[in-house]
Amino acid sequence: MRPENYQAISQPASNEYELNFGPNHPGIEGNYAFRVKLNGDTVVSARADAGYLHRGFEKLMEGRLWIQNIALVPRICVPDPVPMEVCYSLAIEDLCGLEVPERAQWIRVMQLEMSRLAAHLFAFGGHAATTGMYTPMFWGVADRDLILDRFEELTGGRVYSIYNIPGGVRREVPEGFLGRLSSLLDYLESRLPDYDSLFFTNQVFVKRARGVGTLTQEKALKWGVTGPNLRATGLAFDVRRDDPYLVYDRLEFDIPTEQGGDALARNLIRRAELKQSIHILRQVIERLPSVTGPIRAPIPNPLAWNVPAGETYTRVESSKGELAYYIVSDGSDKPYRVHVRGPSAMHAVQVLEKLAIGSRLEDIAQIMFSLDACPPEVDR
Amino acid sequence: MSKDLNIWLDNLLEDIESVQFRRKSSRRVRVDVAAEALPALLELLQGHASYVHLSAITCVDWIEEDEFELIYHLWSYEAHSLVSAHTRIPRDPGVYLSIYDLYQPAAFFERDIHEMFGVYFEGSPDMEKFILTEWNGPPPMRKDFDSEAFVNQTFEWEEYRPKWLEEIEAEGGGITTRPEDVRR
Amino acid sequence: MSELQKIPVQSETTTVGGSAKRTNPLAHVFDDLMNFCRARSMFMLHYCTGCGAIELPPAMTSRFDMERLGIQPMVTPRQADILLITGYVSVKTLKRIILTYEQMAAPKYVIGICSCTVNGGMYWQSYATAKVLKDYLPVDVYIAGCMPRPEAVIEGLKDLMDDIKTGQAENWKRYFQNYDHYLGNQQKLFGEDWQTPTDIIAEARHYGLMTDNTLGEHTALLEKHQRPLEALGMRLKNREKQARE
Repeated sequence: MRPENYQAISQPASNEYELNFGPNHPGIEGNYAFRVKLNGDTVVSARADAGYLHRGFEKLMEGRLWIQNIALVPRICVPDPVPMEVCYSLAIEDLCGLEVPERAQWIRVMQLEMSRLAAHLFAFGGHAATTGMYTPMFWGVADRDLILDRFEELTGGRVYSIYNIPGGVRREVPEGFLGRLSSLLDYLESRLPDYDSLFFTNQVFVKRARGVGTLTQEKALKWGVTGPNLRATGLAFDVRRDDPYLVYDRLEFDIPTEQGGDALARNLIRRAELKQSIHILRQVIERLPSVTGPIRAPIPNPLAWNVPAGETYTRVESSKGELAYYIVSDGSDKPYRVHVRGPSAMHAVQVLEKLAIGSRLEDIAQIMFSLDACPPEVDR
Repeated sequence: MSKDLNIWLDNLLEDIESVQFRRKSSRRVRVDVAAEALPALLELLQGHASYVHLSAITCVDWIEEDEFELIYHLWSYEAHSLVSAHTRIPRDPGVYLSIYDLYQPAAFFERDIHEMFGVYFEGSPDMEKFILTEWNGPPPMRKDFDSEAFVNQTFEWEEYRPKWLEEIEAEGGGITTRPEDVRR
Repeated sequence: MSELQKIPVQSETTTVGGSAKRTNPLAHVFDDLMNFCRARSMFMLHYCTGCGAIELPPAMTSRFDMERLGIQPMVTPRQADILLITGYVSVKTLKRIILTYEQMAAPKYVIGICSCTVNGGMYWQSYATAKVLKDYLPVDVYIAGCMPRPEAVIEGLKDLMDDIKTGQAENWKRYFQNYDHYLGNQQKLFGEDWQTPTDIIAEARHYGLMTDNTLGEHTALLEKHQRPLEALGMRLKNREKQARE
């Protein structure tokens, strides 16, 4: 081409490409999207796009009775619904000054730890699937199903149990349940070496996940990261230990930490927490038969129950991080304001956007699953 | 060490005049401040009293008093205590300062409150719609927005005529009390 | 043989209904064979639209094992047969579901899992969810529950397989035949300038599925707002050619 014929055409940076890492994608946990700008294979910027799962929970909860919201509340976090129910019940008990009987508190701790086991098995199973290793995913989902069987026996529902109400729990533990739970824990413990050799210490996975999505402790504190993601950077903070609720101050458990802060460290933390949850459950199983008493504190007629006016902020450690409820009551039979602060509100939006920059396109799915970012908690 | 920090904080907050302070339990403190003084209080808590974790920002719509109440919940890893700082802003302009330069997690909550309540935070990095991108109506969490009325206007319901009901109606019976009349 | 007869030739005008006359008494054998094979090899689109999606991994993996029935997840809508709407549909997701549905190749089936697709379910008071799914898309099977167990999901899929084998699962044709009705509901929810990249009217004309209900007042609105795809114009100014002229 002759130089005098050359006309420079203005066009955008020709090596930048915008991709809709959209809601219909197996690498996204749930229904969530990103707008990713790529330079070849490397991510230059990422913008989260939420709202696909928005149901307006906080508005719905203002229009229903206090007891009706128990049915709505577990649906906010789908893989790990029990901490939501427990947190809501604890908040109402705080407002009313209800004293939960001791047996109900031990049963609640048992449910919370079972739910934590199920959620961690699902989380690292999902992470294995994003790296292409489908066998740990099949194992994780199958072992989680055995825990869901125990939930079904105890509460009647596999996923959404609706078993905790303000004042206690709804039904007594069935006959022989503790024996079956104990043998399930033995089975899970015997499976851990298999998981280790196939997944956690497998060089294929270790090389793939090391250095991906590294968080330092200062960045984690600045960005509001909580839960296993914060513990993977070295800070041993757990709501069960530092802001205890129910009977956690009487139980013995360690808070595992790791130093790496990358996807591998987060998975190792989840594996260590599996062991700790099994340890807590064994203590509960040992203690529960000797704790007798009612399973429910008496509450007035739920269909015409005026909770005293006030406000409260209750926190619980869910499997993903710090879960908090802020409830304002104006003395009527419906809540005035319920604000749900899910742990993924931080992880799925700001942390994921910032960690994705500089990583490769195939690592975004890994980062999302290793942070255990749950989109329904962002959207509510 | 952490207990001393709590005692020091209690004494300090009691001394400041424009701040109303109440310790609800060993780990929960409620502080009420005027809207102009809140950023200074948050800076004090973050810098000097180790309250580095912003747990949430909540907005409550007190429509009868024509005010929005903003509540900032701060947690300290060292003192193991939670401070909830309450402040009120008038409902009409519904504008407030952003605390993004102090606490980065505030960006998410301020964006959320902006699209749900309509409160504008000056200085927040991103006030664009996030969850309600396909929503063209008023801010839905305000108390003057009736969700059920909106639904009855916009959506149609499924026809429900089961056979057993038709058989009962053929014999002269039927539903005497509709569900809408029972609900308050 | 009858399948070949169904493909319209260019010179034919559009006919209502679309199927050519069958003169061969054994024509249905091929149809039955196609339906038999189709029922046993269904690919479901792996799009987790709502909370019911948490019971899909147990249904897909070894405990309840959908794969022995021939049902496998598929990531792209172009090669999927079943669109599973697992749970409630928020307005934002409904737009993407309609786009996805129109991209799928016929014959395609829609299954509404959970009670929220039937009549709004638990979120009936919510301003952000769509209440009745079959106003926007033709639905073949509903599986009620909140959420249905994996065995219930497989039971519903087996019902769909039976419907396909007997030739009753033809609801995808209803989308073309009643496009005006569906488009009207979609425009009521999304606004008057709602449009998708797929040209449904041209497809209905091509497959011979056009009826009096395909065009109407709502498609007239669509024509007003439709923007045709423009070719990318990238040209260099040719100074030499201009100098010669």
